[in-house]
Amino acid sequence: MKFIALRSNIKESISIAEKAIGDNINLPILKNIFIEAYEGGVRFIATNLEIAITCNVSGKVIESGKITVPVGLFSNIIANIQSDRLNFEKKGDNLEIKTDNYSALLQGLSADDFPLTPKIKDTKSFIEIKGIFIKEAIGQVMAASQFSDLRPELNSILFDFSIENLKCAATDGFRLAEKTISASNFISKDSELFRILVPLKTSQEVLRMVKDDEIVRIFHDENQILFKTDSVELISRIIDGNFPDYSQLISNDFNTEISLNKEEFFNAIKLAGVFGQKNNEVRIKIHENKKIIEINSADQSLGENNYLLPAKIKGDIMEIFFNWKYLANALKVIKTEDIIIGLGEDAAPAIIKSTSDNSYFYILKPIMKG
Amino acid sequence: MELEKLWQTTLGEMEIQLSKASFATWLKNSRLIDKKDGVFYVAVANNFAKEWVENKYQKNIIGIIRNFDDSIKKIEFVVNNQEIKDSQNQNIKETAKIEAASLDLKTDPTTGLNQKYVLSSYVVGPSNELAYAAASAIVNEIGKYNPFFIYGGVGIGKTHLIQGIGNEILIKYKKKIRPYYVSSEKFTSDVVWGIRNKRMEDIKKRYRDVDVLIIDDIQFIGGKEKTEEEFFHTFNTLYENNKQIIISSDRPPQAIPTLEERLRSRFEGGLIADVTYPEYETRVAIIKNKLSEAGQELSDPVIDIIAKRLKKNIRELEGIIKKILFTRETQHIEITPEIVEDIIEKATKSGSRKVTDTQIIKAVTEYFNISTEDLMGHNRRKEIVEPRQIIMYLLRDILELSYPYIGEKMGKDHTTAIHSYEKINQEVNRNQSLNQKILMIKDLIYKN
Repeated sequence: MKFIALRSNIKESISIAEKAIGDNINLPILKNIFIEAYEGGVRFIATNLEIAITCNVSGKVIESGKITVPVGLFSNIIANIQSDRLNFEKKGDNLEIKTDNYSALLQGLSADDFPLTPKIKDTKSFIEIKGIFIKEAIGQVMAASQFSDLRPELNSILFDFSIENLKCAATDGFRLAEKTISASNFISKDSELFRILVPLKTSQEVLRMVKDDEIVRIFHDENQILFKTDSVELISRIIDGNFPDYSQLISNDFNTEISLNKEEFFNAIKLAGVFGQKNNEVRIKIHENKKIIEINSADQSLGENNYLLPAKIKGDIMEIFFNWKYLANALKVIKTEDIIIGLGEDAAPAIIKSTSDNSYFYILKPIMKG
Repeated sequence: MELEKLWQTTLGEMEIQLSKASFATWLKNSRLIDKKDGVFYVAVANNFAKEWVENKYQKNIIGIIRNFDDSIKKIEFVVNNQEIKDSQNQNIKETAKIEAASLDLKTDPTTGLNQKYVLSSYVVGPSNELAYAAASAIVNEIGKYNPFFIYGGVGIGKTHLIQGIGNEILIKYKKKIRPYYVSSEKFTSDVVWGIRNKRMEDIKKRYRDVDVLIIDDIQFIGGKEKTEEEFFHTFNTLYENNKQIIISSDRPPQAIPTLEERLRSRFEGGLIADVTYPEYETRVAIIKNKLSEAGQELSDPVIDIIAKRLKKNIRELEGIIKKILFTRETQHIEITPEIVEDIIEKATKSGSRKVTDTQIIKAVTEYFNISTEDLMGHNRRKEIVEPRQIIMYLLRDILELSYPYIGEKMGKDHTTAIHSYEKINQEVNRNQSLNQKILMIKDLIYKN
């Protein structure tokens, strides 16, 4: 194996691929990155046996071949090397990296022992979508997720495909977010409905690896999902379980509806939250004139603060408590200027959404006060 | 050769050929699940294993299998998700364990309720009228009696009644109101789990999020301080939010010795109803009910005998009915009153045979929390006299010992023993609370 490639290209690929590096006592080779030079380019593969990331890099291949080397060592060299043109050559089970004034010899392991990357047989059915749309959807719903050992089925994002749209949803049991990507934003070569649970970690990697203007193709079979762009492929197992049925939670029938400016509200809860460090609790109270909401947070040992904020209010006067961090999570991912908070009867979950964009909503359970 | 055995042999040979690590990673959790027309189906742990084994070991495996079964033409590898979960996440396993501990087949994991308990199959008689009326009232108007505390001896239908409320609520409100049934033992283990894994928040949330909390056998949390405290807060949260709380116990709140005062007073704030031993007519109705559930019939004299002989425990009654039906089915004989007598005799005796007089004395001292010296002495305070008489009664009732022996054992005259036995024997039928005490003591005896 012998090839020449540009440092900047390799650096980027390594930073994506190394996220899939595994830690398995039985299989030390998982700490290595797989490098293969073939006619037409070079590919890097890393895996932890749950996901595998393959990155394709352009390069001048002089002799094809493959090897694996420890990823930490390899990426350290690539990060610190100054020259742009790098020569790679396999020598036995070692890899030589060479520039005009530098050379390194890395001890590797035979590529024959590296796990083979699984494939999805059906390459004809897939969804094609622009990177920015899928990233936005994942990012927005991930705001409602939180890693939990207790309920593993929640450590995932639901991809619910129903021909006319693709819904993504995530929940941690306290809140839930759903984003609908309408059919005009993707091309579907998949004629069957599906509902699959993609692990949170996989979703995070998708966010990291996909560029906004790239086209992503999503393939799947009964136990794995593949995200593919021109340069990167990520294949992951999918979670076997049931996503909670949340259709009953969604209601458009509110006792009280508050419309307000998102930025101001965000600042208000951040400021009020200063006093709510211990229990993350803020109280939102609607003023009797129905023109102002009061955001309050108090702590026995610290004191308390009040923030008044103008808002448009329809419906009953009420008082409700929220975890301000969960509120902030929602506000961070809503893109528009104004938002609506819909409140039901006292213990009913609140809905937060944009005034103008109906594709996204965030449901949050209030804190129950005795 | 059987599939499992065949695969074990194959794995055995593969293990020798491969390195330990490769074997552990790729083949350890695999199984041969099926063979059909020369195609062998092998389940492996994940997609990576599938890819690897398919490409690297397929030929070797086919070669090995062919030595034992030459019908093999091909191997298909499939991914078995179940195994992945088992091997990959210890935590999931642990959670599942906790979850599984309280489950049986008909139990709904989200509510903890067993569907077999419904109010419509609950036989109502004078002994449980009040409790049943309260239960129906609660189903119709949740929060009407809050908390609803129900107590009564073992095996007389407390669990049936409180689970029945839960199931009825599920049906009536079409799952919009969420009942949650839990035994106090499960509650305790949840709290322990929460503390140990620092996930108390999750446990708190689980319990404070329900609309109707049904907790069974509350007496067992007595003395477990942290659990009591947690329960106290859960209780308050639910109570203040007008959520229904239903509690069962084998004795009234004031009689649970280790229960904290603040909890006790809260229990007493709601409706307390007792379920006592069903009288003859109710017992007959229960027996008929059980029979029709099982789709069986017994003649009236037989039912009469069962109802007369088994007065105090419905569970025992159920057991006897099952035994009778079993006998009829296996031996193909007509069930006569004599046979029934025989069965009951055997069933009640087999339990008593293992018990010794020391066990009885120990159980009584434990129950009343008094010392053996006091008991054997000449103290005539009421707190001591009653237990002493109960012991003599039980020695006679369970072990059928002679009066002189009992007298000697207790350092008393045989006439005292006769008097004690007769006194308690009469009293038992009149005095419900005494009856209950004795049942609980018997429970203690058989448990040890």
